[in-house]
Amino acid sequence: MMALIREILAALRALFADAAARSTMIVSILIYAALYPQPYIAEVVRDVPVAVVDLDGSTASRELTRRIDAAESADVAATPTDLPKAQALFFAREVSGIVIVPPHFERDLLNGQAAPIAAYGDAGYFLLYGAMMGAVTSAARSLGAEIQYARLTATGIDPGLAQVLVAPVTITPVALFNPQGGYASYVIPAAFVLILQQTLLMGIGILHAGRKPASGLAMIAAPLAYILLYSLWTLATQMILPVLYGYPRIGVWWHLYAVAIPFLMAVTAMGFALSQLVPQREGVVVLLVVLGLPLFFLSGISWPIESMPAPLHLMAQLVPSTSAMSAFVQLDQMGAGLAAVTDKVLVLLGLATGYTLIALAINWLRTRRLQAASVPK
Amino acid sequence: MKRPLRPGFQRVLRRELRQIAARPALAFLLGPYPLLLFVLLATVFWAGLPTSLPVAVVDLDRSQISRQITRMVDDTPELTVTAQLPTLAAAKQSLLAGKVYGILLIPEHAERDVLSGTAPEIVTFYNNQMLTVGGIVARATGTAIGTFSVGLSVQMRQARGQSTEDALIGVTPIPIQQSPLFNPALDYTQFLLATVMPTVLHIFICVSAVLCIARDRHSLGGMARLVRLGGTPIRALAGKLVPYGIAGMITLFCADAIIFGTFEAPFLGSLGLHLVYSVLFVATCLSLGALLALVAGDTVAALGLTGVLTAPAFGFAGISFPRFAMNGFSQAWGAMSPLTPYLHLRTDQVVRGADVAVSLPALAWLAALFFLYFGLALWLLARQAQGTGALVPQPAKVTA
Repeated sequence: MMALIREILAALRALFADAAARSTMIVSILIYAALYPQPYIAEVVRDVPVAVVDLDGSTASRELTRRIDAAESADVAATPTDLPKAQALFFAREVSGIVIVPPHFERDLLNGQAAPIAAYGDAGYFLLYGAMMGAVTSAARSLGAEIQYARLTATGIDPGLAQVLVAPVTITPVALFNPQGGYASYVIPAAFVLILQQTLLMGIGILHAGRKPASGLAMIAAPLAYILLYSLWTLATQMILPVLYGYPRIGVWWHLYAVAIPFLMAVTAMGFALSQLVPQREGVVVLLVVLGLPLFFLSGISWPIESMPAPLHLMAQLVPSTSAMSAFVQLDQMGAGLAAVTDKVLVLLGLATGYTLIALAINWLRTRRLQAASVPK
Repeated sequence: MKRPLRPGFQRVLRRELRQIAARPALAFLLGPYPLLLFVLLATVFWAGLPTSLPVAVVDLDRSQISRQITRMVDDTPELTVTAQLPTLAAAKQSLLAGKVYGILLIPEHAERDVLSGTAPEIVTFYNNQMLTVGGIVARATGTAIGTFSVGLSVQMRQARGQSTEDALIGVTPIPIQQSPLFNPALDYTQFLLATVMPTVLHIFICVSAVLCIARDRHSLGGMARLVRLGGTPIRALAGKLVPYGIAGMITLFCADAIIFGTFEAPFLGSLGLHLVYSVLFVATCLSLGALLALVAGDTVAALGLTGVLTAPAFGFAGISFPRFAMNGFSQAWGAMSPLTPYLHLRTDQVVRGADVAVSLPALAWLAALFFLYFGLALWLLARQAQGTGALVPQPAKVTA
């Protein structure tokens, strides 16, 4: 036991002594922790600038403009007099959307005719488009509902029935988890699972690729050392980071580790398998550094797995982050119990076993080849 | 025997090509590997739009109306009702386990309430932790029930003697002609795939420049020899980087071929400008990579630095989360990445078909970044070539 602890400490010392491993497995995580959440600190998009071209200039059109402006997600930044001027603002990116209120808007509205308005946005930017259209739709709907109600009651219908005619059913949308729809709350917890995996894989590659195969206690000690170190990182990125950046975390800590330990075991085993397949440490880093974004999209966090071809999703299961990202989010951000992620924990344990066997097999093959080469005939 | 070439651009270029040819792993990195990732990403976003997202229904009314609402939700292309569950608690468990993304709760007496003239409250729950998917589910369920509500209102008005036309106008007095100016299908291939592929490629290009420069820095007096071979620092640097520039351009156009060819996305802007900023983008990424290789201590440190700078670049570029909503630091940081002006220009030209004049400031900024990074790399190269004879690369001092 003492010998094992000594070996573990030796593995950690080797990690700290190697400048490249130190910067990958320690410094870069700190940098990511400081840098990665920066763009999303505002969490939600407020006051998307919109141009309203009011060709009616009436009380009703001004009221509509006021309601769009009052919406939290939009801000009437300009009221150009015609469409070309609004388009110029749009292309110069001073506004993200254009609303046109046609002439006779108020007259049609009061006469009981349809009074359509037009809204243009750039659906190439989903968040902006959604925020702007949301503001315009609710402004038009609320103004429309009031006018309907006024019109109906004016014809002598009693107020209660008029309400029902305007909206026969009430729709109440409720956001479960991440109630404010924060972008950091959505991206950061999952991204850091991936960052842990990538830096751990790279670190193992840096420390072990191109080295002679390990033997004896060192074979267990080094993996244990890395799992230990990354258990601390799990604490930092999954429990301290949410506090620092103020995004929700409602999970139970030991549930988190019930996923984290199999996850780190799977990643470590995969790292050892990789570092024996790729002969140079640079090779391992290059192989992995470009994979971050593709792996993020494969995880199902931002793009639903139901919309991916099934074979692709099955293949993605070979990478630990795929199961781990959703399992961590389910436990920590959604407050699910362990039962909800059992399948993912099993996948991770399977990967840990599989990659350990692969790593051992390659290690055995390499050791034998090395011995064959060193023993003269 | 052939005479050795005179020092100059060609000599460095040929030497670099020989070195690439001798390294199959490096050659794999320059073409096949990025293309493989492009195919992977294209497969991820193959559907273009998420469809048939699973939702659960908790129908406490079990009436004709509740069945009609369920059917209308199920009929929307975005959603599929995969489970009818007896209680909200069961539905929530299903959502926590990741089996469904949303829940539709139809209360008891919904039908009776509608008939007796009190509006029943239909509650839709959606998983907002998965912001994109949650948003789609919320929007689609809202639209489906909204359509049901409108239909009901029209029926009630008709029952009161209104004509169909009057009833329809009465229900939505202010219809909105919603026109996504661009990307009318709200297609994710244009929104994500077209921006993610160049993002992945920009990491590749930076990395290839790092490996290229770091190879010479490894050897004793390598930088001095490199400049000697090239004649001047600028010829030496250009000769080394050109093969990677060509590889980068070819892979970038392969990405374009996937977007415009396979996914048939329209190209609305100026093809000439698209070519200009594509070349400039590749050149700026190469210069940035070369600069990082010259700054960092050794190859692995340079790769690490490149990873830390390029991997989060997509978040700073303002595609998924808009730049105007970012803090000052993020805006400044994002502005220093070649990816930010490139994706800005790409959106202007490819998606929006903007006037060339509109794109000039971003083009100027990309050019400024190129001159900055290329200039700094040249300056460091010249300095390191002139430095002391003992050019043993220092062990990594630069962190990350």
